[in-house]
Amino acid sequence: MLRTAITAAALLSPSLASAAEPTAAQVEFFEKKIRPVLVENCYSCHSAEAEGKNKLKGGLLLDTRAGWEKGGDTGKAVVPGKPNEGTLLKSLRYADENLQMPPKGKLPDAVLKDFEKWIADGAVDPRTSTGGATKPVGIDIEKGKQFWSFQPPRESAPPAVNVPQFTARSPVDAFVAAKWAEKGLKPAPQADKRTLLRRVYLDLVGLPPTPDDVDAFLADNSPDALAKVVDKLLASSAHGEKWARHWLDVARFAEDQAHTFGTKPKSAAWRYRDWVISALNADMPYDRFVKLQVAGDLLPDAPEDPFTKLAGLGFLGLGAEYYKNTAAAQAIAEELDDRVDTITRGFMGVTVSCARCHDHKFDPFPTKDYYSLAGIYMGTSLSEAPLVSPAEAKAYAEALAKAKDAENKVNAHLATVAKAAQTKAQAQTVTYLLAARKVRAAKGGKPSADEAAKAEGVSPYFVNRWVKFLDTPAAKNLPEFKDWFSLKPDADMTEVKAAAEVMQKAIMQGGKNSPVQKVVVNDKDAPFFLPPADAEKFFLTDADKPKLTELRGELDKRKKETPPAPATAHVVSGNGAGMKVYVRGNPAVQGEPVPKGFLQVLPSPAPAGDKFNRLDLANGIGSKDNPLTARVIVNRVWSWHFGRGLVNTPSNFGKLGDAPSHPELLDWLAVNFVKNGWSLKWLHRQIVLSSVYQLASASSPENDKIDAANVYLWRGNRHRLDIEVWRDSLLFASGNLDPAIGGPTFDLRDQNAKRRTVYAKISRHELDGLLRLFDFPDANVTADKRTVTTVPQQQLFALNSEFMANQARAFAARVDKLGKTDAEKVAAAYRILFGRTPETREVDLAERFLKLPTKPEDKLTRWQQYAQVLLASNELMYVD
Amino acid sequence: MTQLPISRRELLARSGTGLGVLGLAGLLADESKAAAAASGASNPLAPKVAHHPAKAKHVIHLFMNGGPSQVDTFDPKPELTKRHGQQPGAAGLKTERKTGGLFASPFAFKRCGQSGIEVSEIFPEVGKCIDDICVIRSMHTNIPNHEPGLLLMTCGNTQAIRPSMGSWLTYGLGTENQNLPGFVVMCPGKPVVGPALWSNSFLPGVFQGCHIQNLDPKKVIDHIRNANVGATTQREQLDLLNALNGVHKETRPGDDQLDARIQSLEIAYRMQTEAQDAFDVTREPLKVREAYGKGYFADACLTARRLVERGVRMVQVFYGGGQPWDDHGDIEKGHRAKAKDSDKAIAALLRDLKNHGLLDETLVLWGGEFGRTPTSEGQNGRDHNNHGFSVWLAGGGVKGGMTYGATDEFGFAAAENKVHIHDLHATMLHLMGIDHEKLTYRYSGRDFRLTDVHGHVVKDILK
Repeated sequence: MLRTAITAAALLSPSLASAAEPTAAQVEFFEKKIRPVLVENCYSCHSAEAEGKNKLKGGLLLDTRAGWEKGGDTGKAVVPGKPNEGTLLKSLRYADENLQMPPKGKLPDAVLKDFEKWIADGAVDPRTSTGGATKPVGIDIEKGKQFWSFQPPRESAPPAVNVPQFTARSPVDAFVAAKWAEKGLKPAPQADKRTLLRRVYLDLVGLPPTPDDVDAFLADNSPDALAKVVDKLLASSAHGEKWARHWLDVARFAEDQAHTFGTKPKSAAWRYRDWVISALNADMPYDRFVKLQVAGDLLPDAPEDPFTKLAGLGFLGLGAEYYKNTAAAQAIAEELDDRVDTITRGFMGVTVSCARCHDHKFDPFPTKDYYSLAGIYMGTSLSEAPLVSPAEAKAYAEALAKAKDAENKVNAHLATVAKAAQTKAQAQTVTYLLAARKVRAAKGGKPSADEAAKAEGVSPYFVNRWVKFLDTPAAKNLPEFKDWFSLKPDADMTEVKAAAEVMQKAIMQGGKNSPVQKVVVNDKDAPFFLPPADAEKFFLTDADKPKLTELRGELDKRKKETPPAPATAHVVSGNGAGMKVYVRGNPAVQGEPVPKGFLQVLPSPAPAGDKFNRLDLANGIGSKDNPLTARVIVNRVWSWHFGRGLVNTPSNFGKLGDAPSHPELLDWLAVNFVKNGWSLKWLHRQIVLSSVYQLASASSPENDKIDAANVYLWRGNRHRLDIEVWRDSLLFASGNLDPAIGGPTFDLRDQNAKRRTVYAKISRHELDGLLRLFDFPDANVTADKRTVTTVPQQQLFALNSEFMANQARAFAARVDKLGKTDAEKVAAAYRILFGRTPETREVDLAERFLKLPTKPEDKLTRWQQYAQVLLASNELMYVD
Repeated sequence: MTQLPISRRELLARSGTGLGVLGLAGLLADESKAAAAASGASNPLAPKVAHHPAKAKHVIHLFMNGGPSQVDTFDPKPELTKRHGQQPGAAGLKTERKTGGLFASPFAFKRCGQSGIEVSEIFPEVGKCIDDICVIRSMHTNIPNHEPGLLLMTCGNTQAIRPSMGSWLTYGLGTENQNLPGFVVMCPGKPVVGPALWSNSFLPGVFQGCHIQNLDPKKVIDHIRNANVGATTQREQLDLLNALNGVHKETRPGDDQLDARIQSLEIAYRMQTEAQDAFDVTREPLKVREAYGKGYFADACLTARRLVERGVRMVQVFYGGGQPWDDHGDIEKGHRAKAKDSDKAIAALLRDLKNHGLLDETLVLWGGEFGRTPTSEGQNGRDHNNHGFSVWLAGGGVKGGMTYGATDEFGFAAAENKVHIHDLHATMLHLMGIDHEKLTYRYSGRDFRLTDVHGHVVKDILK
């Protein structure tokens, strides 16, 4: 019985037949006709070897039977016995536009026939060696949690270390000094007070100290002299202006899109920038800073003030928008990637975007996690939110609707007037044509259109239009007007009238959307076209007037009652619908649906509603239980102070990121940052008031042998000023800086612009030339640090730009008032720019230069030229 | 060709006057450090060693933006003439808009050169150069819209902004002349998409293409001229600046970045004259200028030769702003006019490069971001076509006088030896000595490439 059953099945199912015992002929067929084709045309992308070279395509292996049995991303490759199923033959046939193999061109029909036969015959395939097809796939989340950055930060006690000639002032010092001891490094001495003051000013507020600031600090010998300065700087609004820019790099802040097709610049983008500035100045707790940017509109305890509540949503509200036309699905997928990437790298320093096409190769993020996050944004929209209370917003919208309604009524009334005039005129087409013909034939301007209209008893308005219209190709191309345009100049009146009547008839009988009506009535240049304003001006009858006056009165009243348009901010709104996995990132190949949610490797909050949404995401990120959030921001701030993070890949805390140089310090800072209310100003104080921060930027050949890159912070890092700080310093020194805070952006191409650089226009489409030249990051993507390049085009700016000349003129004029002799003025210049007195040889050089004869072609005086040299100097551009 | 960075000693010798007057020579010590800084350790644009010996050192991309029609230029299809007006199913592929029946090319094709390759009558001069040209007739791309098409051709990606080919090349190879930008883009006005087409994206800003709208040598590079002081005065300013920077550096020994900036100031000073000279086509003999013809495109082609001659790595010449080759209507009039305007200059460029011995080391690419439909749009135009189109390569290690690949009988879709844009990029990088799979940049946690995860070198066209 059993035997019978098997036989029957074997007869019915060729696949079982082949699984049994293939015949020699079947094997030979495979070896002769199939295997060579696979080897030649498919193995380069679909074999274990290709997989080893990272060249495997579509997840499909064709070098073993197991490979095609398992299939690839788009399903089973071969279903034995069923040539019309499976992707292999389908793609060879080139029938589906999206599935054509081999890519170089269709194989000959004979080969396709062989494959058909082979599959129909049970797809005998004796190749058994396993390729990669049977390797287990998937990510072990529990194992992933063991990685250091996914473990909660642990606070360890600061080590007790005694380093000669170094006073540890804080736990920061203790942790760093312990590494020196371990590595055999000797710290540089503390920086002198002038150097330190310039460093702290440029670092905390992005502007240099004034000579008075320097004098005061030098005169203050109290132990907390620096602490007082730091408190003053942190309390100044300039602090937020300096530090907002760092965050704006991460937020890839810009006011437009790289693509201009179908997108508009974001006119209120600056409100997000101002939001960041005011949040930092107010020392908004960082967890709140995070949550407001992700879900300010949904936070139950969001502030009342609509600006604080909503403007932070510009973080995503100003996100990328891509070109959608034939490839809209792809564009939307790219936009989701922008959201996922900016959120995960920006706030948590993890590269979840890598999991868009395949499970993350190094970190515990399965593809599913990517789509859980992307689904939170799938279907949300970028919109504008009014920055007023809901009641005010509603009142405004209603008032606006009423005014619009009143306006529509005015227009409707005028449309009636116009319609009546047009209808009447169309019935007089013949008369209009005769009048127009007279005007066109007029000699010496007689008769004019007005005169002809008067004579014929019709409107001069339409006569004028007919005169012009008869010259246009639109008129000449109408078949109905053929007779008219065939008229000879001396045609008699009967002929003319007959031709005109043909036209009138065509116009009267042409339906509303007929070609004749279009050209004669509806088009902008049509002779009977009548816009509302002209209808009012030329055709309003006395009977029409009272109603119009009444409607106008109503409109004026409504307009007066409409409050001014509320300020708006660009936000992300709505909640995502969730989505399916896009297999290999391809929106055309959708896999299993995944619920919206958080990264599995991190502690996830329970959804506040029935589904995980933006609010839950905000809570998941801005949580003290999230092992990444505090560490990542603490490290960013550290990196912006020192030019190098404790983790030197501030947006990648994964396996491919750098390991922390001082893990205990990083954790100590992270834990205490949270304990201190996520206060960024607390963090700045911890860092800036440490002895480590105050080390001189001195070199040491001995230390260089051990740690030339200064990973272990044995000296200060001399560095070039960011473009913002350099430009602002130049304006500040020349006395030109406009201290206004916030508001719309200005254009840096204006060489006379005097505002701080943070207020400059930032474009994704075309980044300003000056910013790009000085290593400002591309605002299309989140940036964790700036590269520093030194290229001659930068120096062309310093040597030749009108901006530099402007500052030189102003600075020379400023210094001119501060002394009598050149030597006195030079001393004043050095005090302002560098906070020090010049050396004798520097004064000597200056005096020699200033005494050089002037040249007639120069538009700058020698003093202005000298001022430009000082402004362009290394001493101004670099900070010790 | 390589411009060695000048030494401090040379600097002193060159700028004798200013220094002499100021008596600053003694302040400029520490020459060895300056030389070390100048050696390129800190200069991202210094020439670099390729992965394998390069056939080509420079690329000139003549970008016919808007998308020229293959069946009217380099891919003759007699079948179109025979079946004009018919609507066979095989010619019903989806493009941007709806098209009608097959539409015969209004132009005659002529066998050219020794190779006898057929070229449209609208490119008579290019036809004469055909034995130096390899026509790829089986190109295909992803999307029949301009923006993604342009981005894929220039940056290897259809949506998100990625580094452009010129940025990758200068990142990978540096450039041979430090007094000029390494990657120059010439386009009057802006093409569709705009600056993203020559974007450095996540590569450092120094690799961005230098866009030149106005070929006036005085305006080519931002701040190239000083409007306020004469050259002698500027030299004096620079001498003073050098001296003060020297004093500053004395107490800050061993800091390469300070030296690098001092060096960079000197290069900038020289760039002022060298760049203006390089872009000044009036310095060419009249005969040469006449060979190229008149107008922006002709001048840009001639400038391209002058730049390549001076060691610039990549020059991209856009045929025009907007999308000039986009002839949805009246292909005959539109294509004839644009071919007439460019034919002479393109041929002159190929001949001129050859005369200067530069063609062997310069890879020239001609083509658009996609092709056009062999079917008609409206009365007499053609729609965008991503399924099949032609580009051609010349010089730089590519076989001349050959065609590669083929489209179907109507010229609609690539059929034989298909070449995707990723394959074209892979091949071009290969010729420049670069393995396209190894030219990577670690960004956002992964290694990015111009060719993403695609691209095969088209070996059959290599010499």
